[in-house]
Parts: sequence; C-alpha cells; structure tokens
Amino acid sequence: MMDWISDNAGMVGLLFFFSVFCGVVFWAFRPSKRDIIEGHKFIPLEGDEQ
Amino acid sequence: MTSLAEKPNYNDDIVKLFTIATVFWGVTGFLVGVFIALQMAFPVLNFGEYLTFGRLRPLHTSAVIFAFGGNALFATSYFAVQRTCRTRLWGDGWSKFTFWGYQFFIVIAALGYVTGVTQGKEYAEPEWYADLWLTIVWVAYLIVFLMTLKNRKEPHIYVANWFFLGFIVTVAVLHLVNNISIPVSLFSTKSYPLWGGVQSAMIQWWYGHNAVGFFLTAGFLGIMYYFVPKRAGRPVYSYRLSILHFWSLIFMYIWAGPHHLHYTALPDWAQTLGMTFSIMLWMPSWGGMINGMMTLSGAWHKLREDPVLKFMIISLAFYGMSTFEGPLMSIKAVNALSHYTDWTIGHVHSGALGWVAFISFGAIYHLVPVLWKRPGLYSLKLVNAHLWIATIGIVLYIAAMWVSGIMEGLMWRSYDALGFLEYSFVETVQAKFIPYLIRAFGGMLFLLGSLIMVYNLIRTVRGDTAPETRPAYLETVHV
Repeated sequence: MMDWISDNAGMVGLLFFFSVFCGVVFWAFRPSKRDIIEGHKFIPLEGDEQ
Repeated sequence: MTSLAEKPNYNDDIVKLFTIATVFWGVTGFLVGVFIALQMAFPVLNFGEYLTFGRLRPLHTSAVIFAFGGNALFATSYFAVQRTCRTRLWGDGWSKFTFWGYQFFIVIAALGYVTGVTQGKEYAEPEWYADLWLTIVWVAYLIVFLMTLKNRKEPHIYVANWFFLGFIVTVAVLHLVNNISIPVSLFSTKSYPLWGGVQSAMIQWWYGHNAVGFFLTAGFLGIMYYFVPKRAGRPVYSYRLSILHFWSLIFMYIWAGPHHLHYTALPDWAQTLGMTFSIMLWMPSWGGMINGMMTLSGAWHKLREDPVLKFMIISLAFYGMSTFEGPLMSIKAVNALSHYTDWTIGHVHSGALGWVAFISFGAIYHLVPVLWKRPGLYSLKLVNAHLWIATIGIVLYIAAMWVSGIMEGLMWRSYDALGFLEYSFVETVQAKFIPYLIRAFGGMLFLLGSLIMVYNLIRTVRGDTAPETRPAYLETVHV
C-alpha cells in the first residue's frame, strides 16, 4: 500500500489536494448554512474601534 | 461576544509605534526609489562605492517591501485582530519585542546592502546573521497573533485574520527554506547557500514569487477585508466568496513561482506548471477584487464623499489590473518578449504602488484618528490631493515602463536581412532615456503625495483642524 502511494505520489497528492479544495467549496457554499456563514461578515462592524 | 460594558482594553500603543515606522520607512523607501530612478537616467549620480545603483536598489526594494509594507502589516494585523476577536493583544512585552526586533533587522540588513554584504538573492539579500534574527522576531509575531486568536471572545475567526495568519505562516516557511546557508565562519558575514544550480534558482523563485503572493498579497488582503467594510460602514459583499478567495489563493499561489524561470535550465514541465497556475490565479484574484469593490454596492456615493475610501477602492482597481497583467506575462510567448525588460518593472510597480501602497495609505488615514483619539483627519482636501498626485505619478510610471519595456524587448529580437542583430545593447539603453525621465517624474509625484500625507498626519496627531473642515459657526466667531 505505502509502496503504491509513494510510486504514485504525484497523482495521489493531486487528487488529495483537489478533494480537500472541493470539500472547502462544498462546506462554504452549502445552501443550508448560507445565513450562518454570511452572518460572520458583520464582525468588523460590531462595537466601536476605540 | 463581549458587550460594550465589557469592552476590552486594546493595546494601541504598539499599533501607534508600527504606524509611525510605516510612514517613516515609506518616505525613506520612496526617496531612495526616486534617487535610483534618476541614476538610471543619469549614471553620473552613482557616487563612490556605497551609493551605486547596485547597492541602493536592494535598499529601495527592502525599504518599501519589508520596512514600509512589513510595518504596515504589523500595525494593521495587530489592530484588526484585537477588534475582530474583541480581546487585547496577547503579550505586551512580546509585541514590543516584535517592534524593536523588526526595526533592528531592517537596520542591519540596510547597513549590509550599502557595505556590500549580500546573499545576492533578490528580495532575500540579507546575510545569515540577519536571517537568523528575523526568524526569532517572526516566531514571536506568530506567537503573539496565535495567542490573541486563542484568547478571542468572538467565536468565529474573521476572514481578515485568516489572510494575516496565512501570510505569517507562509512567509516563515519561505524564509527558512530559501535562506538555508552555511556561514564561512561564526565571525564572517559571508555564507554560501545549501542549494546549488537550477534547484537553487527554483527555490529562490518559489520564495520570490510567494513573497509577492503572501507578503504583498495575502497580508494586504487581510487589510482589505477589515478596513474596506469598516470604512464603508457595510459588510463585505459575500463572506462565502471571501472563503473561496482565501483557499484558492492558498492552493494556487505556491505553484506559480517557476514562471520566473521561463527559457532557462529549469525543466520544461516545471515552467509550464508555473505558467498554468499563474493563469488559474486570475480567477481568485478577480473574485477577491470584485468582493472588495462590491462591498460598496448600493452605497457608491460614499466614494464621492470619502477620499480615504477612494484610496482603498483605487487600490483594488490596481490589484485587479496587476493580477490580470501578471498571468498574461507568465504565458511563455508573452514572457519571451517581456522578461528582463522594463515591462516587468512597470508590472511590479502597478502592484506595489497602486495596490500595496494605496491600501496601506487608506488604512493609515483610517487608523491615525482612531489611535490618537481625534474626531477626524486634519484635512480631507489634502487626502484628495495626495490621492490624485500619487495616482498620476503611478500612471506616468507604469505607462513609461510599458513603452520602454516593449520597445527594448522588440529591439533585442530585431534582426536585419542578413540575420544579424539590428541593435547593439547600448542602443537599447539610449532609447530608454525619455521613458526613464518620465518614470523618475512619476516617482517624484508619488513621493510628493507621501510628504503631503506626513504633513496631514502630523497636524491630525496635534489635534488641528483645517479651515475647510471647521464648523461654520467657528468661522463666524473669527469674523
């Protein structure tokens, strides 16, 4: 198993990182969490700066 | 979340120190830039051993990138992380160490440049002893930032802090790998890099391009994601787009470095890889630019009224322009014309002056009245004057470099009917004289704008108010 992974490290790495990236996109754009995630954009506007 | 009754006692003394250092090093770096631009037009200005172009050029690049840009990043990240985490910056002594330690690094690096002590690596010129010192300072910066995040009262880590943290971590990795070298002795300033040949070149440009990607882009995007919404009084256009912006930059930028080594001994596949990722970078870059600009959606009138916001939005326009130009120049066929010419210098300055410096100026103009607890800036008219003088300066600069770069690229590849080169190298240098004069004039305008900013900031700190911003009833009293 480890030999196969090391022999195909380039392809394994590519698929791994691409999958992680797709996971991030899915996580961020889930319709069910839209309001929660978009709600974070108000953080800098809450409270004064002094 | 902390209520107003439990408002944290923010550490603004450290932000003030970094803000002052930003302005000081900025003007110094711009001044050296104007001088070396004049040296290019008038070589007679190369005085003696210490003030030659070869020694002053790294002084200019380090002063504007690491001294001006670096101090701006320290100031804004320390300011924004406290406000978005609703907690005081962790470790007063540690943060003070990062300030004095970073200024000490700048001074020992600069002294090395003028006395000829250099690794000869672009943007990584400081020798081993300065690199080791910077590593200690940078680890302290990371600890201060991480501990502040750990102490946060706000459950979510706001996206600006992701960009700041991405910048701090990646710059640490780049700095460590690219600067691995063996000193000749413990008492010698000279060292030799562990890497050799094409591997050394690849690691250098992996570092060099990601210094642009993470120091000059990710860090300053952190500034954009805090200060543009704050100044506009509106939330960022799309928070989900900001998450996509962050992760796509992180995943793609790190692969783009080989485009600096087109048509060299670097394997062809690596060159093509660098070109491909550079073109892909266009999408997240423009996604981020649109996200920043659209923050003003429905409130565009604020641009008319607030020159500080104008600085920030024009900086985003320059960000969009230079992140379109960069991928274009990474295409091998275009690079065959543009590489080693002034086009590259023009490209770098549209990003450095237009994006990095303008978003920093916007942040500084916003910060100073808040830090010194003043009702507003001394004069918005002077901010407007700074904005337009500097913008004209940048346009003159980059247009001159486009003309000069494309002209010299075409002259280098011009053959006569018998297959001989049509122009000698010195003829291409002579042909660039007028663009060099225009470039120096553009730089002078940019420097003049920064001096106007210094005057405006000093008057603001002193608590003065310009006549045009004074309430009308006060004018009546004077009459």
